[in-house]
Amino acid sequence: MDYRDSGEEAGFRATLRDWLRQHVPAGWRGDGSDRTLLAARKRWHQTLHRAGYAGLSWPVEYGGQGRSPLYDAILGEELSQVDAPPQLETINYLGRAIWTYATDEQRAQYLPALLDAQTIWCQGFSEPGAGSDLASLRTHAELDGDTYVVNGQKMWTSGAHLADWCILLVRTDPSVPKHRGISCLLTPVDAPGITVRPITLASGVAETSEMFLDNVRIPAANMLGRPGDGWNIAMSTFAYERGPGDVGVITRYRHTLAEIEQWVRDHGADRDPGVRRALADAYVRGEALRLHVAEQLSARVGGKPPGEEGSISKLLWIDAEQHLLHLAMDLMGAEALTGPDGAWRRRYLSTRPMSVYGGTEQIQLNIVAQRLLGMPRAPRT
Amino acid sequence: MLATFTDEQTWLRELVAKFAEHEGLDNPADLGEVDHAGLEEAFGKTGLTGIRRRDSGGVPGSSGVEVAIVVSELAYRLVPAAYLTSGALGLELLELSGAPHELRDSVAGGDRHIALCLSEDLSAPAPVTGASVAYGSPGADLVVGLADDGTVMSVPATVVVPGSRDCADLTRFVLAVNPAESDITRVGVLAGDARHKWLALALTAVSADIVGAARGALDRVVGYSADRQQYGVPIGSFQAVQHLCAKAHVAIEAAWSLTKYAAWAVDELLPAEALLAARAAKACAGAIARTVPETVMQVYGGIGQTWENIAHLHLRRCLVDRELLGAETAQHDAIANQRMGES
Repeated sequence: MDYRDSGEEAGFRATLRDWLRQHVPAGWRGDGSDRTLLAARKRWHQTLHRAGYAGLSWPVEYGGQGRSPLYDAILGEELSQVDAPPQLETINYLGRAIWTYATDEQRAQYLPALLDAQTIWCQGFSEPGAGSDLASLRTHAELDGDTYVVNGQKMWTSGAHLADWCILLVRTDPSVPKHRGISCLLTPVDAPGITVRPITLASGVAETSEMFLDNVRIPAANMLGRPGDGWNIAMSTFAYERGPGDVGVITRYRHTLAEIEQWVRDHGADRDPGVRRALADAYVRGEALRLHVAEQLSARVGGKPPGEEGSISKLLWIDAEQHLLHLAMDLMGAEALTGPDGAWRRRYLSTRPMSVYGGTEQIQLNIVAQRLLGMPRAPRT
Repeated sequence: MLATFTDEQTWLRELVAKFAEHEGLDNPADLGEVDHAGLEEAFGKTGLTGIRRRDSGGVPGSSGVEVAIVVSELAYRLVPAAYLTSGALGLELLELSGAPHELRDSVAGGDRHIALCLSEDLSAPAPVTGASVAYGSPGADLVVGLADDGTVMSVPATVVVPGSRDCADLTRFVLAVNPAESDITRVGVLAGDARHKWLALALTAVSADIVGAARGALDRVVGYSADRQQYGVPIGSFQAVQHLCAKAHVAIEAAWSLTKYAAWAVDELLPAEALLAARAAKACAGAIARTVPETVMQVYGGIGQTWENIAHLHLRRCLVDRELLGAETAQHDAIANQRMGES
């Protein structure tokens, strides 16, 4: 058991840190618009790619570096220490879904552009009527010759208004049990019949979208996997989506905690015993999350595929992050709620969806109870 | 980085689990039937009592991780053995203070068993005086104390005053000591940062005891909830019950992750960093010490409130462990001092 970088990891980290010092762009925020930010993120990702820092854990035959997921974590940690455009989250886990289920032609068609952020992808899974119960989704696809005709509606399609392509879950066979009748189609977002409408969240940020599909024609050649593979594709996507590879989360947590500690010092509250204890408690929560994620990553290196223990990390993350912003809001009081600078209250509001997306807190608890503790499922009528 | 157990560590866990399965408690009535001398002898035969004994080069036989594994597996089954205070905390104190090798060998070999002298509020190690208490297991024959100036002293366990206190943890004792000056032997001295090193191991080992006892309680009640039926179905199928157990499981996992890291840090990080990691583990373990066993009693329902049910024994052990060397508040204060400077 060893929590330190191996010699090879330490070397990689040192080289990367050095490279970042020389290559992190300045002034990338520009006018702050979505388009400017996306362009900056794409350019930065391409810079990383040219330097060999993209697709670190992708198989070499698909353009990756063939490294263990620990290297994704190191990259995430180091990127979080510099002021660079945020990583494009979908590249790794949607890329993985594609290379796992695609034909060789599809891999050649989609992967290079995805890995180089030439095409940006989004995920069309949830629907207004299919959130936690995703398997009940109703967007359907009927085969017309060599083309599927798709009708329905997707919700919480994050990034759809800026994406080029969408990985879409559709029902192709209503006659079999619901999990088995789902398939996966790949479609350009600007295909005729697709309308994307942004959804503004309580924080005021329009970070997700809904998507209307009205007789959208998608070639059958764009099916990922075989008819009926959709559920498996979805499940393996979830396993990797916000898994331990997203270790940038922890460094961002530490930054937020450091900001709060600085606020406390600036406002002379750093001698108050209650405040000191609350900050110490927040530190401990962050450490618990960091260390649990480190264990999971290590288990993956040992060959274990990500699975239900991801729910524990997710629950620890929700708890730590939501608690941290509660602490900030409690310390800042009315100033955060009525002052001219709404940054902290926006940050607090942004933590509320964390316990909903990627599987709600309650679903995660069900998973822990049933799959990790082996408790029996309630009989469903 | 490889933050998972080695094959040897996994094997060690299984070995101790098998021992504990045999020697552990299934219900409170078992307490009155424990042959403490026999238990210590059987544990001594495993060879695990001396895993922290240093070799001639001063290198411990095993790391803090092995100590955490042994402690937590014994606690899982509430084994009332002296390992925590003797092979773990006691031997470490002897090693770090340069105690005579014969004494270290006898403790490492499982021939002598240490109970620790602590302040009356259990918050710190203490010298062997009438103001201190001895904390240990019924198999103890030696009490070891630590003075503020770093002096480590020992005294036979006969100085312990039976009936002087009533420890809530039914698997251990906390009793007053009444030593005569002539009973006390100076065995060594903790110099420099050795106190921090000892404290790092001690806090980690106590955290491991809490984690093991909490997990043992939760696993028992989860098993119970699969069998116990109401309204025609197992109570474990009710979402409310599942969420209670799942939250307890996540809390235990968090404490265990911190404990394993602190255990590794004992020999691998600088003493101040190792101590910070150990305080984080103890703070988190302290927080679960009441909540998890209380949840377990709740899921058991009516029978979980009775003396006959094992649950309260887990609760009692966790509660006393929580006080040892400082509960969450004390750890948070110390963590804040280290991270933000003294207030």
